[in-house]
Amino acid sequence: MEGHRAAAPLSSRARARGAVIGAFVVVAALVPATATAAGTQEVDAAFPYLCALPSGQQPAQVRISAVFPERAGTGEPVEPAGVTTTVELPAEAVADLAALGAATARPATRLTVGVAQDGATAEATWRGSAEPVPLPGSGRLALTTTGDVASVTGHGSGDLTFSAGSLAVDLALATADGTAAGTGALTVDCSPAAAGEQEPLATVPVGAGTPEPDGTPEPGGTSASPGASGSPSARPDGPGDRQGDRAPEVAEAPPGGTAADREAPPCRYDDAHPSTSASLNAYVTGYSNVAKLKGASLLPLSCVLIEQGPTDIEFFPDFTGGHLTQHSEGTLRHRGRAQTPPFEATFLTFGFTPTKATMVLEQTGPMTMDAHGETSFVTLYTELETRVRIPLVLRVTALEVNGVPLEVGARCRTKGPLRSPEPEPARFPGDHLLLTGSSTHQPPDQPVGYLLSSGGQLTGEMTIPAFTGCGSGGENLDRLLTASVSGPGNYVKQTQGQTCAVQVFNPDECTEDLQPLEIPVPER
Amino acid sequence: MKKNSRRSVVVAGAAAAAFGLTMAPASAVPSTVWTVTPTGSYTATNSSNIVLTATIPMTCTTSGASGSMASATGNPATVATISAINFGTAGSPCTSVLGNVTTVAVTPWTVVAQDYTAATGVTKGYVGNVKANVTAGACKFTVTGKASATYTNSTGVLSVSSVAGELAVSASPAPVNCGSVVTTATKPTFKGNYTIKASNGTVPKIVGTNP
Repeated sequence: MEGHRAAAPLSSRARARGAVIGAFVVVAALVPATATAAGTQEVDAAFPYLCALPSGQQPAQVRISAVFPERAGTGEPVEPAGVTTTVELPAEAVADLAALGAATARPATRLTVGVAQDGATAEATWRGSAEPVPLPGSGRLALTTTGDVASVTGHGSGDLTFSAGSLAVDLALATADGTAAGTGALTVDCSPAAAGEQEPLATVPVGAGTPEPDGTPEPGGTSASPGASGSPSARPDGPGDRQGDRAPEVAEAPPGGTAADREAPPCRYDDAHPSTSASLNAYVTGYSNVAKLKGASLLPLSCVLIEQGPTDIEFFPDFTGGHLTQHSEGTLRHRGRAQTPPFEATFLTFGFTPTKATMVLEQTGPMTMDAHGETSFVTLYTELETRVRIPLVLRVTALEVNGVPLEVGARCRTKGPLRSPEPEPARFPGDHLLLTGSSTHQPPDQPVGYLLSSGGQLTGEMTIPAFTGCGSGGENLDRLLTASVSGPGNYVKQTQGQTCAVQVFNPDECTEDLQPLEIPVPER
Repeated sequence: MKKNSRRSVVVAGAAAAAFGLTMAPASAVPSTVWTVTPTGSYTATNSSNIVLTATIPMTCTTSGASGSMASATGNPATVATISAINFGTAGSPCTSVLGNVTTVAVTPWTVVAQDYTAATGVTKGYVGNVKANVTAGACKFTVTGKASATYTNSTGVLSVSSVAGELAVSASPAPVNCGSVVTTATKPTFKGNYTIKASNGTVPKIVGTNP
């Protein structure tokens, strides 16, 4: 490794050192290519797992079958085919599900597969789904799922090994009459019982000895090892010195039918945040302008969990109509936290310096949604305006200026929440982002605009406060960020998708595992 | 296992013929013999947007129904049954300012004739035995009752125009998560036009007489 660093330009590499050394997965939205190797190897292996069920940890057997190529050329994607995952849960687990009132369970599985080549590793997630399975009256429950999985491309030569890791089983539970059982969903987390000692699922030799399509041996695939101690000069076009550059690349699986297969983060209620009869979930996404940078940042597809409040009416004295109000509360939700997924934005700072920031919006207080409007019983004309308020701090987790990573530290964030002008400051004190959506309805025409539970456009304007805590090792980046990003007049447009009322379950609005069916598209 | 088992299947269907009383000249005697031609199955398709209200209005751009028609005697007399009726589809749901509204009919509904005017070929009556489960977000309620309607032989249009008080919000099951906008005191309404076609493609006729 020292040799690698010596070869690198000093200043930028020195800064880059702090960044990532762990293996990382390069995610590319590619349709998996088909492996072209002639021979295949069929794998069918069973492993002992331990699964966390409501009644406690239970042993379970996980059987994985798949077809791998016998070997692959360098740079050739390896695409496992016919992937089937079977989880056999013990009778105690069945009793747990029955205790929730479930008669059927529809499984979706997420198997973490470790992919390693020559000391560099990456992870792939193999997703599978299945039709609902009736719970047996007695005995074990076998849940078998199938699904397409991502292709993996090794860097250079060496054995590519695939190992089964943790397994999450998302169960959509239904009663005998088809309604949701319990909260309707249960995620069972399983991990290998013999972690560390488990045999790899499959090994696919890559490169060495594999003729290239033109029949010549492939360079770098022979004696020159790209391992940690290898000489960089042995591979003139080889990867750089970061392990991530050597790690196998995992492509995304093609989009599929179930929520688990979609290009959307999970959005569901769970034990840590159980649903009620008024629970909704929805995705939101959109853009925020950053006025100083004359650019727009894509706010990533984010999950919102909402408790729908009652819609109340106060009749006009003459009963010709009434005032409508509704108050709901919600929260962003990403991996158990009230935040968006991380997102990246690239701007030209000061008009000429390409700057790439990785950020996350963290919610620091309750999110409220207040709708008010009027309806006429005479004309039926109805209008409703919804104001969504949410205190959000913008945290910067990584920064790259002109291609040079700058260490921002772990506490780089805006001094306070993003803030919008608030027309009712006494009722809604404190800094927060305010987004507004409105609708009107004149029957028999359809309503137009933002419809509370079905979504639409929410817009607003915000000030980005100054940054604090940015930089490390004596280098203070607060002023750089504040000077280039902070300021007023940043227009925000968010698009909310159709909500899913998880305990109502409408197949036109919810996925089978009770996530929002609609994935909104951001609009500028 | 069938996919939709988790949820009561969606709807379908609507109304066919029509109804009763009144309008006849004061001297007329109420019809007691109702002759429907042709008899048998029919389909109904909305010819205008359907407007439902439960305090606030909702618009359905698509609605359809199916069932069967038969001649009948008596007054009132059931001249058709609605075995399926849908309000909205997955692609074009009924909507309100509160969001999409799902209405799942619990059938059969009926089409009841009460009054026939020979001069106009118009039968007055109502769509009866109405029961539908309605959801808007997490708000759920059940509507029951009847909805006044007329059927015009010359056009084949069933025009539903319920009067406040004919439909009611059920107390069992009571509305949930709806607030005061939908309570058991709410008087829902159902308005809209459907074009009726017999299975042989003709426009059905309803004629009331008093032999």
